[in-house]
This record gives sequence, structure tokens and C-alpha cells, in this order.
Amino acid sequence: MVKAKHKKTKVKKRKRVSLARPRRKTKRPTRRVTKPAKHASGVGAPRYVLNRDFQFIQELRDLILKSSPAEKSEIAERLQRIGRVKLAVISGIFLNKENPETLATDLFIVADYIDRRKFQVFIKYLEAETGGEVRFVIMEKEEFQYRLSMFDRFVRVLLEGPHEKLINRLGV
Amino acid sequence: MVLETLFGSRARLRLLKFLFRNYPNGYTVSEITKHLQEDRNIVKKEIENFIQIGLLVRGSKAGKKIIEQ
Repeated sequence: MVKAKHKKTKVKKRKRVSLARPRRKTKRPTRRVTKPAKHASGVGAPRYVLNRDFQFIQELRDLILKSSPAEKSEIAERLQRIGRVKLAVISGIFLNKENPETLATDLFIVADYIDRRKFQVFIKYLEAETGGEVRFVIMEKEEFQYRLSMFDRFVRVLLEGPHEKLINRLGV
Repeated sequence: MVLETLFGSRARLRLLKFLFRNYPNGYTVSEITKHLQEDRNIVKKEIENFIQIGLLVRGSKAGKKIIEQ
């Protein structure tokens, strides 16, 4: 008992010394780092918006919005790399530049396997290119063929409306 | 590719696309940088250029009336 008690106090003493010093050293630099971050996080940062009185605003708008939001060949190439894609259909914002709200889906993929991490990177790339959100649907081959055979409304509307097939290994 | 060449850089074109597609909304440099996947300093420089020619203005939060500088 006595021996154990003696040991305890020794450890406590050591602890006090070793803890007190590095704490002070680390606290100060972290404070300095967090202070400017308050502005960068967007709380009080200025917001920027297009000036509608800019002299070429209408012409520029037409040029930007009427062009294809992303290079189709590059989308197809990137799609090949994210997994075993059987069918890839683009629609919505990729084609209908004037009123993109008419269709519920921008990107439709039928695949056996998709690497989730690579797919996330791919979606981020698409969103950066298009400047907006990309609404996508992923389906397995069996589900797609079942939906196709029973004239599923979602698949029918997509394939009968304006769309473009980037990858087609199903012969649809 | 056509517009990218015409405008001179990928970041510039992405910035324009982003701003036009989300028109009445105002965004901070951080938000824009995150969405565009481009370097923060490049985005900042492009924004400053656009402000100088009068294409961009400092605005209030999303949807509200634009405040002129």
C-alpha cells in the first residue's frame, strides 16, 4: 500500500510538469490561425453578383447559356473510367439550354459496377463545368431492362424526349 | 473547347457559366472556388478583373436587390 501511494504521487508530479509546458506553446499559434479564417469561411465575406447593366450582358448570356455546358467527348471518356458503364444518356441541362427544368434527369447511367469515389469526383467535375447542379440516376442493368419491358414512365419519357446516348452497349 | 479558347482560360469560362446559371444569386469567393474546383487565387483574380470592367458587382445575399458599389 505504502509503496503504491508513493509511486502515484511521483507520477502526478511528473505529469504536472510535462503537461503545463507544451500546452502554452501550442495554444498561441492555433489562435493566430483561426482568426483570419473567420472571414474566409464566408460569414462576413463580400458576395459577388453579375451586373445586369453591363453593356454586353445579354450577348454574353446568350453565348454562355446556349453553348453546350460540357464537352460530350470528355464526359464519355470520363464515364469509361468510373466503372463498367453499359449505357449513358445525357439530357436536361446538357441539351436543352433554354429551359433546363423541363426534364427531371440530366444524366442517366446503367452500369454493373461503379466506383463511388471516382463517381463523386466525376460529378464534381460536371458541376464545375455546367455551373449548376446535375441531376443523375444510376440503375443496374436488370432493373433497367425490367423497366424498359414494362414501359416504365421514367425510362420512356427519357428515351423518347430529347437526349443523347454517349455510351450504348445495350442496343437500346 | 471553342469557348475556352475564346475566353482564354478554363477558370474564366467556368466562372462565367456559374454566374450566369445561378444569376440573381451572389456568392463569396470561397463558395465560387469550391464549386469551380479551381485555384482560389485564380478565381479571385478573375473576379477582380470582372469587377474592373463592370461585369460583376458586390451584391447582397441571394435573391435580394443588387447594391451598386
